[in-house]
Amino acid sequence: MATDGDHEMADATAGAEANGTSGDFVKEKQRLRLLPGSSDTQASFAFEKEDHTLGNALRYMIMKNPDVEFCGYSIPHPSETVMNLRIQTWDNVSVMDVLKRGLSDLADLCDVVEDKFTAARDDFNDSHPDRVATK
Amino acid sequence: MDFNTEYGVDGEDTGPRVTIRRTNETTIDFMLSSTSLSLANSLRRTMLAEIPTIAVDLVEIEANTSVLADEFLAHRLGLIPLSTRNVEDMIYTRDCTCEEFCDNCAVILRLHAANRNSDENVKVFAKDLFAETVSGQPIQDARYQRNGAVDGLSSSEELPPRGQPVIMDPKGNGSLICQLRRGQELRVRCIAKKGIAKEHAKWAPTAAIGFEYDPHNKLRHTTLWYEGTNAKEEWPESKNKDWEEPAPDGEAFRYDSEPTQFYVNLEGTGVMPPDQILHAGIKTLQQKLATVIQQLSTTTDSGHELNGAAGDAGMGGMSPPDPAANGTAYGNQTAYGGQTPAYAQQTAYGGQTPGYGGAGSAYGGMGGATPYGRSGY
Repeated sequence: MATDGDHEMADATAGAEANGTSGDFVKEKQRLRLLPGSSDTQASFAFEKEDHTLGNALRYMIMKNPDVEFCGYSIPHPSETVMNLRIQTWDNVSVMDVLKRGLSDLADLCDVVEDKFTAARDDFNDSHPDRVATK
Repeated sequence: MDFNTEYGVDGEDTGPRVTIRRTNETTIDFMLSSTSLSLANSLRRTMLAEIPTIAVDLVEIEANTSVLADEFLAHRLGLIPLSTRNVEDMIYTRDCTCEEFCDNCAVILRLHAANRNSDENVKVFAKDLFAETVSGQPIQDARYQRNGAVDGLSSSEELPPRGQPVIMDPKGNGSLICQLRRGQELRVRCIAKKGIAKEHAKWAPTAAIGFEYDPHNKLRHTTLWYEGTNAKEEWPESKNKDWEEPAPDGEAFRYDSEPTQFYVNLEGTGVMPPDQILHAGIKTLQQKLATVIQQLSTTTDSGHELNGAAGDAGMGGMSPPDPAANGTAYGNQTAYGGQTPAYAQQTAYGGQTPGYGGAGSAYGGMGGATPYGRSGY
């Protein structure tokens, strides 16, 4: 099994470089994987180096989408930084679209919160010139 | 299933709201409303653990005859708060194209203190650290032109130059590093690098984040322990109790209400102004999302290549496979087998478990027979 693995990896290295998947081979980390058994309307993803910080927020945003039948995340073991996310959709909605939409909606939400905070801070500074909150 | 009503037609009134209650140089106390608990918590977690800061990471000890051991001193030096002005422009040392380190990815601080002939202990403070470039040129710092340390942080322009120690005490001394008796000497060269608190707590920009919601427990997220008969009598009232209406006595419990108002007290360590901590927190969260979006789009472009762990033989006996789709996806294993060496080389968080490298290579080799492949879906 060890030799099989080595053999496979040796071939694969050459193959990946020949594909030209970006010159900087070391930096190309695959942080998002699709777990086996997934199809277009129901899929499980594994995110490397992610935890509840992304998982809970993303799950919340995806659940708001009415096309989603099921969405949940879990962390298989706390010693390994992997987060699994499962999405199941109604009808024929693609899971990839749902995930992309959830991510961009969450980014928009962050923008809104930042803008509101900046506005509130500027108002506070204007009304309290003696105790200025930092710029 | 109401998707968009939270960001309703009149966006100003129905979106998230921020109300700042109190501030000072290190703390901002604000109330965040009309957002979800998930986002508020994610923001809190990001501000605590994932905002890049600068701290001493390598210490070259040239002479140490103090009573503290070398590693003890190195530990203390790492915990000294260093200014994060313009830290966004600084590169992580591991990503920098230079060999070892350079001025773009590190800040060098030197310390040379000795007690030659004083009977009193000479105290070595953070103010004794002085910065120099990698090649040894001393850096002129504007530190000594500052008026006083008390209001030293009322704007981020008043933070010392990048990497210099942050000094907030009234005498302008900074943290005490060690004390030297007559004849003892300390001479070190510290290399400060960019990092995040997930790797080591010395890189944390926040001292603490107070976080509360639902001061009257109307959502029943907690049950108050009590000795006698009445929990309400035994528990002190929250500072935030006046910001929300307590539930009237006879009212039934509303089981479907969600938390919407969060009282946050953000206290920084002084390395970054607190509102900048919040901005950096949101920005870091968005960068995470952007990275994931990018991974998603670069891999789905080339067909179903996202699927790297699948094997033709061992699919784990899951839901009925679609032969057409799976044929192409699983056939593309080689690209993923090639990715795995990158896994073993990742030292991004410094604490990559060896199991990762091993499990990673198993993906390229054996496909579905890995723990992740069989996570029970």
